[in-house]
Amino acid sequence: MISRRPSIFIYVNQPDPEFLKQILAGIEEEGISSEVFDREETDTGLLAFEAARDSMMGSGIGICGVDIAMQMRGRKRGDNVQQYHMPTYEECRITGTNSARVIKKLSLKER
Amino acid sequence: MRIVAGVDIGNSTTEVCIAEFEQDRLVRFLASAAVMTTGTKGTTANVHGILAALKRAMGQIGRDISDIAMVRLNEAAPVIGDTAMETLTETIITDSSMIGHNPSTPAGAGQAVGELLSFEHLQKGTADRPYIVYASAAHTYEEVAAAVNRSAKIIQINGMILQADEAVLVENRLEKKIPIIDEVLRIDKIPEGKLAAIEVALPGQYIHMLSNPYGIATLLGLDAEETRMVTPIAKSLIGNRSAVVIKTPNGDIRENVLPAGEIYLDAEHPERIQLDEGAERIMQAVMNAGEIHDVAGEENTNIGNMLRRIKKGMQEVSCDAGSEIRITDILAVDTLAPVLISGALAGETCLEKAVGIAAMVRTQQLPMEAIAEELRNRMHTEVKIAGVEAVMAALGALTTPGTTLPLAMLDMGGGSTDAAVIDETQRVRRVHQAGAGELVSMLIQTELGLTSRTIAEQIKKYPLAKVESLFHMRMENGEMHFVEESLDPRLYGRVVLLTEAGLVRIEQDIPMERIREVRREAKRKVFVMNAVRALTSVAPGHDLKKISNVVLVGGSALDFEIPEMLTEEFANYRIVCGRGNIRGKEGPRNAVATGLVLSYIMDAQRT
Repeated sequence: MISRRPSIFIYVNQPDPEFLKQILAGIEEEGISSEVFDREETDTGLLAFEAARDSMMGSGIGICGVDIAMQMRGRKRGDNVQQYHMPTYEECRITGTNSARVIKKLSLKER
Repeated sequence: MRIVAGVDIGNSTTEVCIAEFEQDRLVRFLASAAVMTTGTKGTTANVHGILAALKRAMGQIGRDISDIAMVRLNEAAPVIGDTAMETLTETIITDSSMIGHNPSTPAGAGQAVGELLSFEHLQKGTADRPYIVYASAAHTYEEVAAAVNRSAKIIQINGMILQADEAVLVENRLEKKIPIIDEVLRIDKIPEGKLAAIEVALPGQYIHMLSNPYGIATLLGLDAEETRMVTPIAKSLIGNRSAVVIKTPNGDIRENVLPAGEIYLDAEHPERIQLDEGAERIMQAVMNAGEIHDVAGEENTNIGNMLRRIKKGMQEVSCDAGSEIRITDILAVDTLAPVLISGALAGETCLEKAVGIAAMVRTQQLPMEAIAEELRNRMHTEVKIAGVEAVMAALGALTTPGTTLPLAMLDMGGGSTDAAVIDETQRVRRVHQAGAGELVSMLIQTELGLTSRTIAEQIKKYPLAKVESLFHMRMENGEMHFVEESLDPRLYGRVVLLTEAGLVRIEQDIPMERIREVRREAKRKVFVMNAVRALTSVAPGHDLKKISNVVLVGGSALDFEIPEMLTEEFANYRIVCGRGNIRGKEGPRNAVATGLVLSYIMDAQRT
């Protein structure tokens, strides 16, 4: 049996390093673990969709360059819970926070 | 063949009922309709709504309003109700001295005491005393953690207060673990150099030191007098997962008991009652007072201002400046209101005792004749003011299957609760009382600390659910409901209202159980108490047991839980009580309009 640590998956393709860092900080503050994987796809929606599908917790984030998207398993591909092009650091942080909050069954933060 | 229309102008809706008569014998009911009342009840502005309702009803049977031979209007009861709320106690903190809030992710656990030191002045700390460091959001978590790690080798840092939501991020990077509280909005108000105590509860627990006056005394080294002063702080921190208390020697915290004042009942048996004796005592006095001529409050006290405000509001509505406005009934309800503590750091609230009052004011007769005249001109038909509202409602209520004389009718609307008893000889006794739907909305709004009345109204009207995943929600009765299509993520984890127009999100983070409890308690306090009060006063010999049937009509009878509450309550008196079903098909609506049509027969027999 292969067991894997339950974590939020982040599928990335050449992500902006500061965006990724802020997203990871958002997740860490909520006390959930996360794993980052390099992928070939360039469609942010698809990255997020597959990350959510593959994450044991059903929560995933896709980053391609300066585009970020957050998804939950069960939602349609491309119908992202949150998505940003050139987000502010705060938006990145909130995206990370919310990907963790959905696991804790808490309502999403808005700002 | 004559077509007769009954028209009931209510505070919120105008209802019509249309029936066919042949030689003064009712052939059949044809149609009914309801529209929003246009303008204030009892003014000629109502005509517009009446015509719209008649058109709609006649449209249902493919006829024109010119076919109507007679319109029968109700004579609306000349009473209007209003509500007011006043807190009886208040907590004032001069010189900010506490932060008690529930950030979702504080870090570490336990208590810490130390002198407040700002992050900028970290170097100025000395080794001879413990510190609690606070940092604004201008500093990143990495910066804060690195600097604190460095300084911790020289000075003793026992705890931290952060402005940004970064407690866990900082704590994960600290070599020595300490309790950290974050999301403190007004970090700039923290007085540097003062002694402070912080506490973070273990997961799943609540704080226990700072919510205990002696706990605060232990941590901050207070004497007996100071301990007495921090009691309101301890009280307001109960149930928190984290808190900060700062010792400010010049600070003053006190629980003010406002001068609540006396209520004067000018009645058959006059009486004066202290407001802080509680709602129960006030209502007892109102019950024993007999007929009330007027109610007033002591000058320059809460109750005095409250009642004056109500009278002033009524004067504006009724527009008769010359005449005297007299309050003829009040309903008082005890409640608790979360009130913003003046002088607090993070917008903390404290539950204060409050009393809600609904009052009813008798005005001059409403100008129904003017409405009738206007209708006559517009429709060129016979228009008659046919009867008193409560009597007509009782007549209409009688069409509910399974009812018999003597029958009691309870009409619970927005502003007032009306009751009438109709006996075997068709004699009617009636009463109008203060307190109905609007008071319930006000109680819900106050107790939950909601900013808008609209959402309180909706909470009153609709059942709750908690969205637990994008595909299912838990209803307030515990049932699980699954949906096919994914719900809007903005509803995720939220408490929602199940309205006809879909799910409405409640912005405030209040547990579903709490909202439900407040809603049901408000309804019980107002409706059950008022129903018993109203029926007792109209019952033969004021004996509830002499009533066998109670039919509920009016807007509040449509509520999803009030009729059941009343059915349960009246079962104790062996009274058959339930939501009316006018003409066996209208539900609790249209009682007055139906009664107006039925009264046509009586009129005809008389002539």
